[in-house]
Amino acid sequence: MIRHRFSVEDFHRMAEAGILSEDDRVELVRGEVVELSPIGKRHAYVLNTLVDLLSALRDQGVLSVQNPLVLFPDTEVYPDLALLQPPRTRYRDRLPEANDALLVVEVADTSLDHDLQVKLPLYAKAGVPEVWVVDLVRDRVHVFRKPQGEAYQEARVLEDGELEVLSLKVPVKEVLP
Amino acid sequence: MTRHKVSLEEFHRMVEAGVFPEDLRLELVEGDLVEMSPIGPKHAATVRRLTAHFASLAARGEALLSIQNPLVVGASELYPDLALLRPDPEDYRFRHPEGKDALLVVEVADTTLRYDLDTKVPLYAKAGVPEVWVVDLPGGRVLVHRKPQGEGYGEVRTLGPGEVLEFMGVEVPVEALL
Repeated sequence: MIRHRFSVEDFHRMAEAGILSEDDRVELVRGEVVELSPIGKRHAYVLNTLVDLLSALRDQGVLSVQNPLVLFPDTEVYPDLALLQPPRTRYRDRLPEANDALLVVEVADTSLDHDLQVKLPLYAKAGVPEVWVVDLVRDRVHVFRKPQGEAYQEARVLEDGELEVLSLKVPVKEVLP
Repeated sequence: MTRHKVSLEEFHRMVEAGVFPEDLRLELVEGDLVEMSPIGPKHAATVRRLTAHFASLAARGEALLSIQNPLVVGASELYPDLALLRPDPEDYRFRHPEGKDALLVVEVADTTLRYDLDTKVPLYAKAGVPEVWVVDLPGGRVLVHRKPQGEGYGEVRTLGPGEVLEFMGVEVPVEALL
């Protein structure tokens, strides 16, 4: 049995035709429409904290929160946060793609396995240069750099210390109080 | 990871919105869109012979012969190789026939035997299709399912060469299908 796979174009056609409504929280992963889990209060809080902290970079990157990022012709995901190449007007007429991303952040409570096993290889393959996965269960942050094939060559786990992106340093304890 | 389940209504709106190319053969199976395998020459020959056998019923108006056409069973939309349908005053022009409209469903299995038996037969049973034949081409036999009960059939018989299938007075020798 071969499951039918949609393209990003099909996915948008369905949204335009009202088949997938604005309220459906879905993403397209390798041609399959996947439902996103509801966002818990700690997830929401930590994400808002990250937005506050990263907004110091507003001149160096465009903050895109729970917005689409096209990775492949059959994959459009909604990372919790993406820091994109400026300027913002670059994305007026098209969706941001993997090579526009400077950093992607996923906040994971129950979705850690999915983020590490399904999404991380996709980000690596699409060439997203850096990914942070904030693990709310173990209070730590996975930092991945240097994408190669479907993995990252550099993987670190921070329980304290500082995260670093562009010119900004962010203490882990501020992200995960 | 929760796959989004497609409803019948969404499926029809996708077709209308032109999401699928016309030549794509898709079934909706319990919320999943499944691509149907291309039909091989043996499979096609068997469907033609079945059609010829049941043509007399259609000619007499006792049943409608529906070949590789949609049949709605529960929340699924399947394309059985052959379905004999209850005659309908509107000829099913305004709605697809459903499980309760079917008298007999025949699936011809070339490479899809497991899928037909494990996935489709239970759906036909649940929708109350009274009789299902699964023609197992590689196995050289026909599995006849009768008496739908829940997600299965109370009576399953295996017929081989030399035996004769019978439905509504039409006799079909098993070897005619193999």
